[in-house]
Amino acid sequence: MTMADLEAIVARVKSALASAPGATNHRAHPAPPDDAVIGDRRAELASRFARELEAVGGRAIGPVAPAEVGPRLVSIVRERGVKSVAAGAGVECDLPALAANLEAEGVAVYRSAPVSTESRAEVRARVAKADAGLAEADYAIASTGTLVVLSEPARPSSLTLLPPVSIVVLQVGRIRPDLAAALAETGPQALQHRMTLITGPSRTADIEKRIVMGVHGPKSLDVILVWPDE
Amino acid sequence: MAASFKAGDFFEASESGAADHELRRKLENASGRHLEHLARTKAEFSPYEDERAESRRIKEDAIGHLDELIVELTRKLEERGCRVFAASTAAEARDYIVGLARKSGAKRIVKGKSMTTEEIGLNPALEAAGMEVIETDLGEYIVQLRREPPSHIITPAIHLSKEDIGRLFHEKLGMTYTAEPERLTAEARARLREAFLGADIGITGVNFAVAETGTLVVVENEGNGRMSSTMPDIFVAVMGIEKVIPRLSDLSHFLEVLGRTATGQKLTTYTNLISGPRREDELDGPREVHVVMLDNGRSAMLADPVMREALYCIRCGACLNVCPVYRHIGGHAYRSPYPGPIGSIVSPNLVGESTSMLPFASTLCGACKEICPVKIDIPRLLLHLRWKESSGANGPRWPRGAAGARAGGRRFARLARYPWVVRMLGRAGAMMLRPFARDGWIRKMPPPFGNWTRLRDFPLPRPKAAPKPREDS
Repeated sequence: MTMADLEAIVARVKSALASAPGATNHRAHPAPPDDAVIGDRRAELASRFARELEAVGGRAIGPVAPAEVGPRLVSIVRERGVKSVAAGAGVECDLPALAANLEAEGVAVYRSAPVSTESRAEVRARVAKADAGLAEADYAIASTGTLVVLSEPARPSSLTLLPPVSIVVLQVGRIRPDLAAALAETGPQALQHRMTLITGPSRTADIEKRIVMGVHGPKSLDVILVWPDE
Repeated sequence: MAASFKAGDFFEASESGAADHELRRKLENASGRHLEHLARTKAEFSPYEDERAESRRIKEDAIGHLDELIVELTRKLEERGCRVFAASTAAEARDYIVGLARKSGAKRIVKGKSMTTEEIGLNPALEAAGMEVIETDLGEYIVQLRREPPSHIITPAIHLSKEDIGRLFHEKLGMTYTAEPERLTAEARARLREAFLGADIGITGVNFAVAETGTLVVVENEGNGRMSSTMPDIFVAVMGIEKVIPRLSDLSHFLEVLGRTATGQKLTTYTNLISGPRREDELDGPREVHVVMLDNGRSAMLADPVMREALYCIRCGACLNVCPVYRHIGGHAYRSPYPGPIGSIVSPNLVGESTSMLPFASTLCGACKEICPVKIDIPRLLLHLRWKESSGANGPRWPRGAAGARAGGRRFARLARYPWVVRMLGRAGAMMLRPFARDGWIRKMPPPFGNWTRLRDFPLPRPKAAPKPREDS
């Protein structure tokens, strides 16, 4: 960009503001919520999250113990008739190991990993062809039933976007009460190149305001909540 | 395709909209359903009023510091690896994007719903340069197939029934006729999925841009904004300069109100926070991110202390759904990408002269002000624009009409000093009108009053009781 263009606009804005001054009031950041408090409220937050997720057309499974995640995954895959799964790395949980278990069930597993320029199109095509994407959420929001997903080379955003079935693992300790708390948690610094808030399966109401699921993204969203062994 | 807005006679277009009973049925149907969703989510959420007040406050703050915030946002975006282009006019923005598409050898462009790109007339320009442009929001895809502009900023195909869309898909896509929304949506999904994976450039609008972090926020339900901003190698975000907000923590207040007022959702399905291009070994995300920051009349709105408030708008579309005029005539009659109450305010500034009549297309009932999530006093702004339009620097728009009205007013003032004359003339007038009346209503008045009865009946003046309202009115 030529700086002159920006300067021209800024100069116009400045003189416009000078002609009629506005309110002045920049505030401080809200304090992030106390982790101890969240710890005590895990059960309450998990049940609120589950309720809200179901209200937007998703499905909540659990909370289950970490050892139960594998069997639950197998039953989801069977129920949805999934023949192939694309998976990336997890956040806390070992997703590649869980995916490997699915192979024993006769499901083809594609492990997405960091790519090179040459392999990008090919990797994307494979993720797009998979029946299901398996991912783990970084955070979740109880009041809206929302998953917060950061993208990283080992955990591409495509996994929760391209396959028609989306399966997401969520640790209950990562559920925050509301949007403000979740944003305070990720914070300006932790913001990766892409952060996506996902509230239910992809949907549209463009035809006579009637809700239809699965327009461009997943048609179904299953979230397995994990309660840690203590 | 060239679905652009042509300047035209608003009054003529609104009459044909009003006369279209089928259109009105569809609008009532869709906007009624929207209002039901809305009431439900608001009732469930007690801090709504607090969030609304806070959103308003942040907007006042942000617009009051717009100069600093634009500089901060630009710096942060560039630090994140985005390229920022500041466009003073629609033509500059258009030329930049067309130039970028040419330079990169792009053939296919996918677009998320963006009224700002409608404002700058981007699609016709890209098509003239030989590019294929595909709208990917389902509603936009539908109106693009019909080669017409959107009629609502949130629900572009609100003027169409599922049967209309079924026939359209049958004719244009060769699909077997069906009016089932599920099957129509599945057809669009299959076609657009292919488009996303093969596109060279993705273009979307921006709902909010966070100055503190250099983050672009794109809010949507379908996933097409997410697709457009992750799949193609080049991503172009087009934003008006008023979209900037100071901090990341401000975002939650806006998202809490936007989903609720726009579609009656607590949060829309996808909220994309984009801060720069992908990293080297990353699967998703564009190689290049271009941000076009558009002035195009916004700084002029800022300079007018009354109009400034219109820059607080977060484009939720709720004022369209509650507006009796919009619900009567539909979005196309406004001849602007921004229809409805808010459109009547911003269009004269952003779209231009051809829309200068719009502020007069309102009953000033105030439903828009009541529902606005950032509490914009739309009726006040409409009156302000009417005043500017009729007594502006260039003189009144209708000099003869204005002079005539003033002279008439003066004559009546003189007459009114003699109440008995007024009474007598009133009675004489009523008597003269009697032959034209039937059942107490006059369907057609003689000139020069004919304009009144062109659209509505006139009650026969009576000395005592007014006529009962008719059953069909």
